[in-house]
Amino acid sequence: MEDDETQQLSTCLVKIGNARDKVAFATLFKWFAPKIIRFGIKTLNTEAHAKELLQETMTKVWKKAHTYDDTKGKASTWVYTVMRNVSFDMLRKIQSNKEDTISDDIWPMLDSDENSNEDAYPDHLMSRTMSVHVDQLPENQKQIIKGVYFNELSQEQLAKQLDIPVGTVKSRLRLALAKLKQYIGEDS
Amino acid sequence: MIKYHPSHELLDTFVTGQLPASFSAAIAMHTELCEICRNKVAQLESTHATSTFISSAADEESDLTADMLFNDWEIDSLICSITGNDEIIHATAAVPQAISFNHTEYLLPRALQHIALGKQLNVGKLTRSRLDLNEGAIHASLLHIQAGGSIPNHTHKGTELTLLLEGSFEDEMGTYNKGDFIVLNNKHTHSPTTQQGCLCYTVVDSPLTFTDGIAKILNPLGNFIY
Repeated sequence: MEDDETQQLSTCLVKIGNARDKVAFATLFKWFAPKIIRFGIKTLNTEAHAKELLQETMTKVWKKAHTYDDTKGKASTWVYTVMRNVSFDMLRKIQSNKEDTISDDIWPMLDSDENSNEDAYPDHLMSRTMSVHVDQLPENQKQIIKGVYFNELSQEQLAKQLDIPVGTVKSRLRLALAKLKQYIGEDS
Repeated sequence: MIKYHPSHELLDTFVTGQLPASFSAAIAMHTELCEICRNKVAQLESTHATSTFISSAADEESDLTADMLFNDWEIDSLICSITGNDEIIHATAAVPQAISFNHTEYLLPRALQHIALGKQLNVGKLTRSRLDLNEGAIHASLLHIQAGGSIPNHTHKGTELTLLLEGSFEDEMGTYNKGDFIVLNNKHTHSPTTQQGCLCYTVVDSPLTFTDGIAKILNPLGNFIY
């Protein structure tokens, strides 16, 4: 019976990752909710925190399901690590009054879609040189460059996040890129 | 080769997310370098997942369930609000950051990338930079010792954790190399020295106390390292 259940959970998670399947998500949510609440009360002490843990964990499950690889481990283990990370950051907030969300650095998420590590390294010297230049930009242009290139946000998402028109994002980006080209040109 | 590893108990608590960030970061940096402990962590995650989510023991004590905190309507609206957002989170490859101590550049381990580092303070061949983790008496630092440097014989009231990030050092108990995870308590007294220089990550939960005659004068240094 345990194997059936394991298989079923894994199938749901894969469906969410591949097809944004809302029915599969509801199934998963209802199966995990009482267990996450119980874990939350045990580790975070209050019902309010347990509720927050449930909401945060399941939101991450929805947004990160595409990184789950069913050939590498059980769905329950994957959900456990997502929940553990949320719980770690919450505990830090409660005990040390820190909102630094460092759990993803301590337990890095491995993306099975793209082999991100291989791409990252050849560029890394270049990225470091660039980030020095980026730091020389005026604050409002720096924000845009970091949002678009380092956090991979779309111009629309960025506009919304900064609460400015998309046109402004575009023009700041143009200015910033022109400046960066200048900086690099000066160096070589 | 790595000879010193975190204990089973430490790894077990690490996996549950209930170890302070300073200790968790040390274990993360060690497992990044140590395949044995990386495998143990994966094994423990699977064990904890099973006991939390699958095992029948977890169901027996289900006197308190989500039903008691949420009604059906609330659950459905929570599900709707989560699935109403189409954003997905990509795994972002960390761009390795560098940190420089005495004109030598080191790569900052992944676990420390988003933790603020305090300004570097120097005493002789020692340079310390405190991590801003705000964990009360538990202080985490990066400690750089230049070639030929040493720390006089000392003991600790509490626990001293050292993770060797680069280089090597020796003390009365042996030689330590990159990746070694060393935990000492008030039963140990030691005086580490380094021939080629080293960079360590240290976690200390009370000041160091120097034990040898003249070194007692150095007790302010104990606070420096703490």
